[in-house]
Amino acid sequence: MRIKTIALHLAVTGLLLGGIGLATSVQAQDAKTITGGFDVGPGGFPKNFNPLAATGGFTWLSTYFEPLVIYNADLTELEGDLAKDYKVSDDKLTYTFNLAQESWHDGKPFTSKDVKFTLELARNKASGSLFAARLGDIASVDAPDDRTVVVKLSKPNGSFLSILSQVMILPEHALAAMPPETLATSTWWSTTPVGTGPFKFKRYVSDQYVELAADDDYRGGKPKVDVLINRYFESPAAAVAALRAGEIQFTYVEPDDAVSFKSDSNFKVIEGASYVVNYIGLNQKVELFRDVRVRQAIMYAIDRNAIIESLYGGAAKPANCGYVAPHLLPEGLEPYAYDPAKAKALLAEAGWDKINGDKPITLLTYYGSPQAANVMAAIQSMLAEVGINVVPRVVDTPTYNGIVYKEGTPDWNAFAMVYAGLQNGPNPAGISPGLNKSQIPPAGFNTMRVEFDDLSAALDAALGQTDPAKIDQSWQEVCKVMNKDLPWATLWVANRYGVASNKLRDFVWTPAPAGGPYAAHPERWDIQ
Amino acid sequence: MLVALSVLIFILLRLAPGDPIDAYINPSSPMSASDLEVLRDRLGLDQPLPVQYLAWLRAALGGDFGYSIQRGGVAVLPLVMERIGPTALLMGTGLAIAIVLGISAGIFSAVRRNALPDIALSVVSFVGISSPAFLTALLGLYFFSVLLRWAPSGGMQTAGAPFSVSDVLAHLVLPACLLSIGHAALIMRYMRASLLEVLNQDYVRTARAKGVREFWVIIKHATRNALLPVITLIGSTVGIAIGGAIFLESVFNWPGMGLLLVNAVGTRDYPVIMGATLVIGICVILVNLLTDIVYAVVDPRIQVS
Repeated sequence: MRIKTIALHLAVTGLLLGGIGLATSVQAQDAKTITGGFDVGPGGFPKNFNPLAATGGFTWLSTYFEPLVIYNADLTELEGDLAKDYKVSDDKLTYTFNLAQESWHDGKPFTSKDVKFTLELARNKASGSLFAARLGDIASVDAPDDRTVVVKLSKPNGSFLSILSQVMILPEHALAAMPPETLATSTWWSTTPVGTGPFKFKRYVSDQYVELAADDDYRGGKPKVDVLINRYFESPAAAVAALRAGEIQFTYVEPDDAVSFKSDSNFKVIEGASYVVNYIGLNQKVELFRDVRVRQAIMYAIDRNAIIESLYGGAAKPANCGYVAPHLLPEGLEPYAYDPAKAKALLAEAGWDKINGDKPITLLTYYGSPQAANVMAAIQSMLAEVGINVVPRVVDTPTYNGIVYKEGTPDWNAFAMVYAGLQNGPNPAGISPGLNKSQIPPAGFNTMRVEFDDLSAALDAALGQTDPAKIDQSWQEVCKVMNKDLPWATLWVANRYGVASNKLRDFVWTPAPAGGPYAAHPERWDIQ
Repeated sequence: MLVALSVLIFILLRLAPGDPIDAYINPSSPMSASDLEVLRDRLGLDQPLPVQYLAWLRAALGGDFGYSIQRGGVAVLPLVMERIGPTALLMGTGLAIAIVLGISAGIFSAVRRNALPDIALSVVSFVGISSPAFLTALLGLYFFSVLLRWAPSGGMQTAGAPFSVSDVLAHLVLPACLLSIGHAALIMRYMRASLLEVLNQDYVRTARAKGVREFWVIIKHATRNALLPVITLIGSTVGIAIGGAIFLESVFNWPGMGLLLVNAVGTRDYPVIMGATLVIGICVILVNLLTDIVYAVVDPRIQVS
């Protein structure tokens, strides 16, 4: 009897397994759908739906919300988005935006009142907005008519438009009734958000995916696909599995995976600059790195070209200051070409034996990828060769931040050296928070406690530069000082990768920091 | 016991470096200090620890487990509750497959002791026992989803498709089978050993001597007695299965307790970690209770008075 029951169970299980396989293969999707892992990788911010609280994920957010201005897909220039065009006054204090004709996804017209409402909300700390400080220079926002917005600044700010490109315009009619302090925890964002973008929010299936539907009367034309889906993955590797299995058509991939896709004719590898400069941070609170000769020695000791060739497949540019973009590099930079003998000589001159000798120094990082582990190992062995004994330590991001931002007196030796990265573009001002002496924690993000007067002066001068003709020159000056003082041992700016199925047409993606946003024109994306 | 568990988790959490705000900061694109303050205010993390714990305990006793820090505004209790279903489905199916396979293979193996099938099954079971969940999960994913495309690579439903039972089952099969491998192997070893021992008992010889057919001797007289230690084993594997499910759920993006917990730990979402561990603790206690009851049913010597 029991055996029979067991046999029956087995048979039923077998039938189920077979039947299920059949059921999935029969299942057809009528609607034209593009599914991707749009929040995979460093630019993504999965499961965040509130653009005011976003520190990333703008690639996805900008498929249903839109900013006033947006970077082009090359991240070289800002162009109009919800603002058709804009004018900046000669004194750089007044910005006049001429708005496009558009309606919200619920049919209500989009007007200048929405822009005024959004900018005021974004400047209001109570709303939980992370833009409050960055928009602090706004003196007033006026809406003289439905299609015009005038923003006045209290002082010129060269980064203003760049900041504005991440401020997604929100509907006043849907949000004005909610007290700002309830907005950060409102479920509106993940259930019924209303935007102006080419796709409208349909639903969020908890931790699984977000589904958008085409907005047929989008001003840029009716989207070519009916449904756009953003699937969540626990790791880039899981997304790669789904991509290879044909379940998604796009995802960010780690460099190692990109190599394996290059020979596959079913996929297209998309490569772009990360705009993140990698560096070895040298904690100025420990005695080890006070002498510039020690810092120079570290630069000479690391064979950056060899690492770039062998571990990045050549897809990185060595950085001799915070930048690699040609227009930010002045003439006559010291290239710090690999020279271990010189490194040894500099260390001997500085008296490294007395400073530290061969005692182990922690090299902390939050980069957990296998590639990063290889990079750390290479650096460890190169530094060991000149007599600097570093011990790599990999921790997760919250642990890293917990160590380097710790209030009171942190354990400086726990992060004597770090292997880290900082955004250096498209707006070059991105590196200032990590290097300016005014940004030492808790005031800011200068975690290596760099207090170099000439560098801070150069950064402040560049930040205050409002003359477009002189702006590049000001950042070149920053580069020059960094190259001379070596607040960090700068390493390189690497490329990052996405892989798209060859079934996609007119698909635009770039590995922008924080996911952009940039003009990806999702309404033009198509699938065969 | 649960209070002790909650105190322990609370202390361990705070000993771990990094807090929810640290989890929020992207080291490559820093925020300003005043933005950080906005976050800190919003999350209410500026109170002393015992005060935070007592506030949590008081609310938890009243059924209020607070709100998730990283998912703005979502209450912890419903969040955890909606994950019990998927985890129970995955674990239940996985264990059911393991029990059916393990017990039948164990019986078969014991009856054909030292014959070729027994040796083959023993080898397979040793491989099964020695394969860690992370290895079988990844290999299974690679072969059955990526290479053969027999099963979806993750999730509980096809993204964008309307809900259907067959769709959920299709997503369930692969992770459930992978989850069952280790357990089935273990159950098989126990079943085989236990049955072999029972088959040497006097009452089995008596049954044979009475002329009972060999089939019924095995099933009725031997197996029922041999099942007792196996049930104990199954009861205790449920706790281990939760551990295995945590890994499988993250590999297959299965929206259960394990995935919730892994996400919460990665983002230092304290209220969710507390809520989820407590619920898992309650589940383990309940399963142990259930094991005792099943024991009483199977073993007539145990009487509930």
